[in-house]
Amino acid sequence: MALSNTIYNTFIKRNFIFVGTIFVSAFAFEIIFDKTTDRIWNGINKGRQWKDIRHRYVQEE
Amino acid sequence: MQCFRALPTALRTAVAPKAATAAFSTVQARQQASAYDNVYKSPFVSSGQSTTKIPDFSKYKSSGSPTGNKVFGYFMAGTMGVLSAAGAKATVQDFLVNMSASADVLAMAKVEVDLANIPEGKNVIIKWRGKPVFIRHRTPSEIEEANSVKVESLRDPQQDADRVQKPEWLVMLGICTHLGCVPIGEAGDYGGWFCPCHGSHYDISGRIRRGPAPLNLEIPQYEITEDDKLIVG
Repeated sequence: MALSNTIYNTFIKRNFIFVGTIFVSAFAFEIIFDKTTDRIWNGINKGRQWKDIRHRYVQEE
Repeated sequence: MQCFRALPTALRTAVAPKAATAAFSTVQARQQASAYDNVYKSPFVSSGQSTTKIPDFSKYKSSGSPTGNKVFGYFMAGTMGVLSAAGAKATVQDFLVNMSASADVLAMAKVEVDLANIPEGKNVIIKWRGKPVFIRHRTPSEIEEANSVKVESLRDPQQDADRVQKPEWLVMLGICTHLGCVPIGEAGDYGGWFCPCHGSHYDISGRIRRGPAPLNLEIPQYEITEDDKLIVG
């Protein structure tokens, strides 16, 4: 129960820290969520996107 | 016989009200006494035991610590806050991105011109956002001429230095400030531009000198890079 006490006293006891933690977590969550969904999307559409077939049409100079 | 039978009835009727009052008053007194006892005696309970059965909630009682339960509750509420904050931000962002200029508009917004291809003393007209832009490579004598004009005497007083970034390159919107015609280059009384619609004369700095136009030709936002490239926009 020491852990839950620590969590409670660190993050929840003061409201502004609680709300701040929520916003920071939302920021981090959004990045992770976007990256994950993008990776899933790119995995599903592998070989069909411009960045996958670009080398066939554009010669780097 | 009849009279004898009638008598008790009359007697009874005479006596009965008195007895009834007596009975009522005793009931009242008893009720008053019980009120002073301050205990409610239900007439339906004979034994005086309580019939209320309080259920046993101990089965539902948490075995964990109160802090742990609190942390769990706040964690769930906080998680919902996190998800809704991220969702709200994404929604607002989608609307704002939708309102901003799209890629094709942005691609049209800037025009790049290689100034090295424009010889001295020549005009070039390019199209920028659907409007003509005049670029003139001015000769030294033209620059001198533009600077020698008495600015105070002009309709729209403006120094030549305020209208150009580099004196040899004059860049301006080719739209007459009168009614929006496109002036003709290297024409007019002042060696600059002449608007054929209503006869406005602009000098070599694009300033209005004669005719109905109220203002000098407009200068768009532009920059000249190190390697003599002009970027309008």
